[in-house]
Amino acid sequence: MTHNLMHDVRLLLAPRTLPVLRRRWSCGSGGGRGRLITLGIVGTLFWCGFFGISWRVLRYFKGIEDIGDLLAYKLLSMILVVSFALLLFSGILTALGRLFLSRDLLLVHSLPAAGHCIFIARWIDATVDSSWMVLVFTMPVFLAYGTVFAAGVGYYAATFLALALLAVIASALSALGVMIGVMVVPATRMRSVVILMGVLLFVMLYLAIRLMRPEQLVDPEVFDSLLVYISSLQAPAAPFLPSSWASDSIQAALTGSMATSAFHLAQSASFAVLVFCLAVITADAIYFKGFSKAQTASTAAIRRRGLSERIFRFLPGPVRAFTIKEIKTFLRDQTQWTQLFLIAALLVIYIYNFDALPLEKSPIQTVYLQNLFAFLNMGLALLVLTAVAARFAYPAVSLEKEAIWLVKSSPLSIRSFLLIKFFIYYLPLLALTETLIVGTNLLLKVTPFMMILSTVTVFFLVPGIIAMGIGLGAAYPDFKAENPAQTASSFGGLVFMLACAAYVAAVILLQAGPVYRLFLADLHGRPLSALVWLWIAAAFAAAFLLSLLAVVLPLRFGEKRLRQMHL
Amino acid sequence: MIELKNLTKNYGTHSAVQGLSLSIGSGEIFGFIGPNGAGKTTTIKMMGGVMAPTAGSVTIAGIDMQAQPQEAKRRIGFIPDRPFLYEKLTGMEFLRFTADIYGVAAGRFRDKAAATLAMFSLTDWSNDLIESYSHGMKQRLIMAAALLHDPEVLIVDEPMVGLDPLAIIMVKKLFRQLAAQGVAIFMSTHTLKVAEDICDRIGILSRGRLLAVGTVEDLRREANVGSADLEQVFLNLTGHSA
Repeated sequence: MTHNLMHDVRLLLAPRTLPVLRRRWSCGSGGGRGRLITLGIVGTLFWCGFFGISWRVLRYFKGIEDIGDLLAYKLLSMILVVSFALLLFSGILTALGRLFLSRDLLLVHSLPAAGHCIFIARWIDATVDSSWMVLVFTMPVFLAYGTVFAAGVGYYAATFLALALLAVIASALSALGVMIGVMVVPATRMRSVVILMGVLLFVMLYLAIRLMRPEQLVDPEVFDSLLVYISSLQAPAAPFLPSSWASDSIQAALTGSMATSAFHLAQSASFAVLVFCLAVITADAIYFKGFSKAQTASTAAIRRRGLSERIFRFLPGPVRAFTIKEIKTFLRDQTQWTQLFLIAALLVIYIYNFDALPLEKSPIQTVYLQNLFAFLNMGLALLVLTAVAARFAYPAVSLEKEAIWLVKSSPLSIRSFLLIKFFIYYLPLLALTETLIVGTNLLLKVTPFMMILSTVTVFFLVPGIIAMGIGLGAAYPDFKAENPAQTASSFGGLVFMLACAAYVAAVILLQAGPVYRLFLADLHGRPLSALVWLWIAAAFAAAFLLSLLAVVLPLRFGEKRLRQMHL
Repeated sequence: MIELKNLTKNYGTHSAVQGLSLSIGSGEIFGFIGPNGAGKTTTIKMMGGVMAPTAGSVTIAGIDMQAQPQEAKRRIGFIPDRPFLYEKLTGMEFLRFTADIYGVAAGRFRDKAAATLAMFSLTDWSNDLIESYSHGMKQRLIMAAALLHDPEVLIVDEPMVGLDPLAIIMVKKLFRQLAAQGVAIFMSTHTLKVAEDICDRIGILSRGRLLAVGTVEDLRREANVGSADLEQVFLNLTGHSA
């Protein structure tokens, strides 16, 4: 029985495991290796960065008498709570996809395999997919704990087990929740509901933390008593949370109490087995019913209003066709709405942060600081734009999906197609970035010079970022991606993010010197020499030229690649 | 109306289509048959301007596809084998989208869209999202869209896949009507009966090469099969046995 079960599960997992194994043994092709190396370097840099920061923070804590270790343990417990929340969130989305929405499910369910075998195979797949990234990127933090606390081998083994069990628990709970959820809400809508809930939760948590003003915790004037502070740190975390068991076992292993660590690990393991068994029993009872329901979710007829046709009547035919198509498909795709909420949340948080800046308490002259922040804010706002563009402009071409043949067989040139895409995203994203810049500048009460400089600079930089998104998105499309987030996290998406970061940094660096001189001259009423004016003009001209190239080159690159692409 | 000259497509070292030359006149229905992987879809993609050839040329209504792709495509109605569409548009919105791209005037669109939707029995579903359509309905919608701008050339890959018997009869009749109006139709198919029924000439492609071309009678003679059906002709010419 068990042998049959394992055999069937292994067979069902073969479509996932075989390509991985094959890639491992045959990863020799030039392009693939290049991508692998780039991703490897970026990943390693992030990994080392996490380790470095964690090590510094923990060393600092270690140096604080009496409460240093307490702070480190509190941080450990917080990291595990956040990791557990991330594992749950990612687990729900992955389980939804793997259990109910993947394209291969029709084939899988037509196979002569038992329902629970299918569920277990899909669940294992989902568990690996949803947890590897969280585990890999929290690993440097735990490594830093081990190094700073000079822990033995037992600590590393206990940490590995605790994290693996946490991932299994989160994934099994997610699968259970998803199977029950799909019986109530159609699978296609549930993903949007979950993302929306996640976004709202994030915004609420963020605002709650911001409103508590955590910066006051390091303000000595605020402490009434050290004892009150210590007792709050020592308060136990929720005893029924799986992250608390993981935290307790890791903490015990850190201090060398291996028996205590093993007890908490056993606690986690028994719960993991319990939830897994519950999930399998539930799957036997309702998984197939839920899957059938997901196939038959009804779609409502659309009422014809012709409003967008009337609004965009002034545009030439092909431009109108793509503009209306883009807007309608965007508004009708529920997964996109949640992204709009996310952007709104980003805007609120971004502007609120500037409102909360305690500039008046700074020892540096306020007018100087206000304008320095405004200048740096240009870079920050453009990085926010890059993140938003990575989610919207970069996947724009891939979103044509397999209907791209319509574009390639139509009498519309690829260049026109890319330009239409460019303008569709350029106008709203320009409005978003200028709102960010003007809003934060008003809160900072910057000088008119800085207001004009930042709005004009952003006006010239936004086209470059959007063009890079559209151009690189056309050069590295993924017409088989199931959602835009998948496209954005691809190799091309990474190239886009790096290119944008380099472009923004280059323009900011080009402008930094001239702007500083202009600002000081304006502030002190001093005239500038002809040579300085020449330098300033050259720097601004170089920034303008760079912006021009950032528009032209990526679009041409994308056009060439997309034209030559085999469908 | 359609001129293929020495058309070649290589994928790395593999040659999918080798030196294909053909000429299809106005009002002619040309059938393209061949085993799986013979190069039919690759040829059709090159003819539709969806894929660039490695060598050779495609001329549509006297316009070189390589030199003036937009002008050439404006004269084509292209129907691929798999009906991938914008799933979040309704059938009517998709027709409107196509009409705008091909420059069909708004006044003409309304009547034309209503007529083609009725012809393909899609009127009742015209305001439903395409994602709720069946495979056959999507195929019919693509055909309706391809005819909106009155193309001079119709390029069709596997026209009958996914269609019900009624729709197959209707499409066969429609193709004959279009040919009578002077439209050149190039279609690839695995349904030999369809090719035999409606095609004026048939080309047999195998491993990227054109083995034979002519009327069904010409092919029978070439295959030396007497009065046998096209199936036997196909098997003989491609060197397969039943």
